[in-house]
Amino acid sequence: MNSRVNNPIEKAQRGDREAFRFLVEQHSRAVFRLAYRMTSSQTDAEDIVQETFLRAWKQLARFDGRAAFSTWLHRICANCSLDHIRRRKGHATQIADEPFRQIPNESPSPERLALSTEINALLTPALDDLSAMERTAFIMRHYEGLPIEEISRVLGVEGNAAKHSIFRAVQKLRKALEPVRCTR
Amino acid sequence: MSHLNQEELVLIYYREPGIPPSAASHLSECAQCRADFDALAETLNACLDWTPPEPPLDFGRSVWASLAPQLVEQRRPVLPMRTWFAIAAAMVLLIGAFIAGRASRPPQQPSLTAGLSPQARARIFAITMADHLDRADVLLTELENSDNKDDAAFASERERARDLVQEGRMMRQMVASRGEADMLPLLDDLERVVLEIANSPDTATPRELRELKQSIGSESLLFKVRIVESNLRSEGRKI
Repeated sequence: MNSRVNNPIEKAQRGDREAFRFLVEQHSRAVFRLAYRMTSSQTDAEDIVQETFLRAWKQLARFDGRAAFSTWLHRICANCSLDHIRRRKGHATQIADEPFRQIPNESPSPERLALSTEINALLTPALDDLSAMERTAFIMRHYEGLPIEEISRVLGVEGNAAKHSIFRAVQKLRKALEPVRCTR
Repeated sequence: MSHLNQEELVLIYYREPGIPPSAASHLSECAQCRADFDALAETLNACLDWTPPEPPLDFGRSVWASLAPQLVEQRRPVLPMRTWFAIAAAMVLLIGAFIAGRASRPPQQPSLTAGLSPQARARIFAITMADHLDRADVLLTELENSDNKDDAAFASERERARDLVQEGRMMRQMVASRGEADMLPLLDDLERVVLEIANSPDTATPRELRELKQSIGSESLLFKVRIVESNLRSEGRKI
């Protein structure tokens, strides 16, 4: 941690804006990645990052340090994203977003790049077809590595509900990604 | 042992707890289950190739640039210390009022608030009550402006509502002991709504949230809270 800022969380909890600024700068990229996975949209993800930090600022006094700050922040982000997806689905509007900008891993082989592009092309609409709960549960399990028990707490549902959301998501994604498997 | 189903395979893939050891040993021995598992793992591993676009290096700075002006409009987070101060101030006044009442009868006892002038007591009362109304204002405003509250955020607001109920009851005693009966109807109305929030179920449906918002909007409660809070602050400054 930057020695310039000594325990920024406690300082921010006391209303220190500079300390909160440090936290925003430190965590915003990771929060963006989660928000992007939840929405497949750069614009939406940027909005969610803002909303996440606004909520975090308002709720900072109640952060008790039992979980890591990043985990706490990601929970807020997941909930903001969930609200966002529900609103978006509720309005039945599929926002035409900027083209998917894939940043490949370092020096990818042409084959890997081609495969990655193909997966993106299939995965993005498949994720959009999941229900808000299925998508949130799957992203948190698959990309964030949260255990199902923790996911159920974040989503405020029973453990079985979170588990079945993941099962349904996996089932749908397997179907959507079947063409990739066949070509491998 | 019968073959593993898809759900068990998913749980094994994610190394979730609760998978019986027999399932793991079956997987290593059964060619069919192994093939199913490999197919599942291949698909799920392929999903890992999906990486979000990497935001620019100065992304954090640009987030802060647009966030900072909004934080100015935000009220500072309610710190537990402020709540404790309010409760402590209310306790001092209550105990003071109690002892003053006892002290009016012989034999006379020295009052805890003997050193406080009536003006100082009035000022503490005004500030304490204004702070209480301020906290209620923040909570009600957040709820009224919410689109569709998620469970976690709502749970935290319920917790604050519970604190406000306790604090409000103390305020009512303080108001009563000071003979400021005209403030009691507002505190009663406020308690009714805050109690409703405090006792809300874990999962608030959009309909329940709408009903809550109607309660907040009823009889211009929020407006009254703000007016009284503002008056109390002015009074506190004047004293």
